Amino acid sequence: MKHLKPINNKALKLDQAAEENRIEEVVAMNSVAGCASTTDPGWEIDAFGGVSSLCQPMESDLYGCSDPCWWPAQVPDMMSTFPDWNKDAQSSGDGWRNLGTVFPDDK
Amino acid sequence: MKRTLRFASAGGLLAVAVGLAVQPQVSEAREGKQILMETCQGCHLPEGNDALSRISHQRKTPEGWLMTIGRMQTMHQLQISDEDRRTLVKYLADTQGLAPSETDGVRYALERRLNTVENIEEPTQQMCARCHSGARIALQRRPAQEWERLVHFHLGQWPSLEYQALSRDRDWFELAKKDMVPLLAQKYPFDSKAWSDWQKSMPKSASLAGDWSFSGHLPGRGELNGVMKVTAEDGDRFKVSLDGQYADGKPFKGEGSAVLYSGYEWRGTVTVDGVSMRQVLAANNGQLSGRMFDKAHDERGLDFTAAQQGSARLLAVQPGYVKAGSESELTLVGSGLSGTPSFGKGVEVVEVLDNTPQRIRVKVKAAADAASGLQEVSVGTLGGQQLAVYREIAEVKVVPAFSVARVGDNGGSTPKVQGRFDAEAWGQGADGKAYRIGVFPAKWRVEPFDERAREDEDVRFAGVMQADTGVFTPGDAGPNPARKMSTNNAGNLKVIAAVDDAGTARTGEGQMIVTIQRWNNPPIP
Repeated sequence: MKHLKPINNKALKLDQAAEENRIEEVVAMNSVAGCASTTDPGWEIDAFGGVSSLCQPMESDLYGCSDPCWWPAQVPDMMSTFPDWNKDAQSSGDGWRNLGTVFPDDK
Repeated sequence: MKRTLRFASAGGLLAVAVGLAVQPQVSEAREGKQILMETCQGCHLPEGNDALSRISHQRKTPEGWLMTIGRMQTMHQLQISDEDRRTLVKYLADTQGLAPSETDGVRYALERRLNTVENIEEPTQQMCARCHSGARIALQRRPAQEWERLVHFHLGQWPSLEYQALSRDRDWFELAKKDMVPLLAQKYPFDSKAWSDWQKSMPKSASLAGDWSFSGHLPGRGELNGVMKVTAEDGDRFKVSLDGQYADGKPFKGEGSAVLYSGYEWRGTVTVDGVSMRQVLAANNGQLSGRMFDKAHDERGLDFTAAQQGSARLLAVQPGYVKAGSESELTLVGSGLSGTPSFGKGVEVVEVLDNTPQRIRVKVKAAADAASGLQEVSVGTLGGQQLAVYREIAEVKVVPAFSVARVGDNGGSTPKVQGRFDAEAWGQGADGKAYRIGVFPAKWRVEPFDERAREDEDVRFAGVMQADTGVFTPGDAGPNPARKMSTNNAGNLKVIAAVDDAGTARTGEGQMIVTIQRWNNPPIP
């Protein structure tokens, strides 16, 4: 981290954790079945096993992440599989209620 | 621009595939093999001997096959009726399923025990299970070539996976091909003795018909038992009727149906108190065990075991504990029960209140000097269950110790995922070792897990804990203008159970992450 400086709180926290050698302190929560632990941050849980360093409210920037398949096991990826997922919710902040689940259940 | 071009070139191929896959209207029910040949062969190439490319080289659970067909629907616009899909899942799970032993240790995923903390070996955890459960992999069998195609499919479908953490620090694609493929092919091979033996020896489904005595435990509600009547129908199908009661005498009754896949995978749908519940059970030699859960809220479910009439088995002792120096009522659940049960040294049966082959209810007295610890319970020659004798509670554990709840509703498409907890009391035995006493009633509350959660007022926003039941209902989905930056109603909470041990409050703690909804929620997480 010689050439990089944290410029916001989240980066600072990560930087401090690296300094204090706490990088390995990734808690067991991160491997709860079916939760995404990576993709910086995870979908459910952040690097510290909490929720305060997640990208939330996620509706602010949801498509910035779902378009490039960022959490494809949790959020429908719009690049390859579900290009029309947000057709009724062009703005995720306003239209998130129109975003549907994608597994084709029996009717 | 690149993106537009890619879609344009794929479009032509897709149009051909879709044209072949779209089914003409058929009035009669089609059989599995016929669907494969008429529908799947639209894309999958015949390889002789009724084999089709890709499909014939994989084995999966019923849920695994359902996900595969679901993926063909969403990714390749396969048109298939629900009825045909059900027929095809059944056919594939029967002919290319997993042997019972091949699902050992990973049934939690099928049973939707989504708070299971997985323990996946490296490099599989980092290479695969960082996005989805490790169980999703462990519940498939493929030869090396098919595992390799799965790697290619992942990178082709989700190309940014190479830029994610635990990918960009390594050559993920090369490692996946060179290390993961041989590892998976060796660990989860297509050809296995377990499956070929099972295909030869699997019992006829009609052998499951009859009465089953069942026992269960529903967190937040307690123990229950009863009798499940099973009537066999054609095609490995059954009619199911449940007639049971909770410990407080309230009925637990339901009617429904079930299908048996792969000779042992029992999947039922039973309506109990107007709630459609799914049974995911494994049949094994006169016993059914697994989980039964609310279809719409799979976090609301019970451990379920059942023993078939005709087999003799002691399933459970409810409750599984007694306090030294006190009297209490115990219910033994099983099949073929007869005689007066024995609970070991220092615990005597005062009265037999009820005695049937499925249920024995007794009043017992534990002597004041009975040893603290676990004692073997027996009825005639049957055993296998234990009774905990305790004096005081040494420790309370919140179960699950780690859990994930999710915001939901508020007009959106995803329901809230509740947290549901049990307070498990542990004692210290005469030998100094800790032993599990059992589940106790508790008073429940949540607190901020850390300083950050306190600052963000997670307790105020993330949801409400029901004090008497240990059921936590998360907050609404969507941005919350009342929170800093309008953030979601997520939270990092301590879950605290206080158990009253003869006037002394004993508390235990767990951690619950209240997080956001998922829209991609297939049968195997």
